[in-house]
Amino acid sequence: MIVGLLMLGGGAAAGAFGSLLGLGGGVLIVPLLTFGFGLPLREAVGVSLVCVIMTSSAAAGVYLERHIANLRLGMTLELFTALGALVGGSIAFLLDERLISLLFAGLLGYVAFTMARARPAAPFDEPALDVSPSGPDPAPPTILDRLSGDHYRVRNLGRGVVGAIGAGIASALLGIGGGIIKVPLMHLSMGVPLRVATATSNLMIGITAAASTVIYVIHGGIDPYVAGPTAIGVFLGATAGSRLSHRVDLGLLRMLFVIVLAYTAVQMLLRVVG
Amino acid sequence: MTQERDGPTLGVERLIGRVLIALTYLSVALLVVGVGLMLGAGISPVAGGPGLDLATLGSEVVALGPAGFLWLGLLAVMAAPISRVILAAVAYARRGDWQMVGIAVGILSIIVIGVATAGAATV
Repeated sequence: MIVGLLMLGGGAAAGAFGSLLGLGGGVLIVPLLTFGFGLPLREAVGVSLVCVIMTSSAAAGVYLERHIANLRLGMTLELFTALGALVGGSIAFLLDERLISLLFAGLLGYVAFTMARARPAAPFDEPALDVSPSGPDPAPPTILDRLSGDHYRVRNLGRGVVGAIGAGIASALLGIGGGIIKVPLMHLSMGVPLRVATATSNLMIGITAAASTVIYVIHGGIDPYVAGPTAIGVFLGATAGSRLSHRVDLGLLRMLFVIVLAYTAVQMLLRVVG
Repeated sequence: MTQERDGPTLGVERLIGRVLIALTYLSVALLVVGVGLMLGAGISPVAGGPGLDLATLGSEVVALGPAGFLWLGLLAVMAAPISRVILAAVAYARRGDWQMVGIAVGILSIIVIGVATAGAATV
């Protein structure tokens, strides 16, 4: 009973922190389950993928209802994230857990470094490129035209495809949503406004994680007794976090989080050498 | 040139959004029942739960077994994004947008390939 409630509470804390800081829960759930409850890393990754799908589906549903996400672009890129997830999910069961720990430590270090350097968000939601139709007889729409949204034009689809495959592999191996790859990729490289990139990434996370989760289920890599309470906790925490964000000192929270991430990265590295 | 989203596109997005939200709440409800039954039966989450067995899932649910409800909830979690792709494929097919239908079929095919290869590897 106590362990179940602790798992639910831990999941809620991970969901709330993730939501407040704009991260998916995966980067927190995997360390929580491995260090907090002694789960094997691969099993923690499988449970984390379930939690990631749940939070992303809820958020993506709202983004679609409000017409913020770009469904056409999201589906095009998730063809390649799903491909990456298929590769990642297949090799996850062949790799030594120490190598996955090493990769996860690298991920934690990267996120900690990025958050430590982060400045307060600027109003950065302007269209990267605003192109209006011109002339009486415009050319037939190209693929990029068809993927573009209202008032912005998508570019560099090739880079997007390569990045999407990488995000899918990382998601399947490490149990993360991959937003830390997809959002900068779409915003900085493909010219998608930040708010649309965040919403579209959220949409893509579900199918990316689902493609690898089915592989984890078939390999027996997901324990329902662990996944149940953790997923409920993450869902409740993420819902609460999104409502509390305007009442919390995010600067202090971010610094605390950087310390926790750095400490966890060191613990992961110790697992590799120990 | 940028593409303005027309009425039918916005309607499809709204419908898909609602299905995603409904499936998420359904999965949460099933997981809550499963966790309640698990805790009520005094089962520790770290005791090691059973793997998914589709053949016994129905009887497990009828018998109010916690694993049955938990697996149903987890399947609903996984079904949400897959249903979204299927719905989008149907909507795009009705509008004759075969490029997007092809992409949707490609995504679903990758998932089927994943299931088949993982299944073959565990046999």
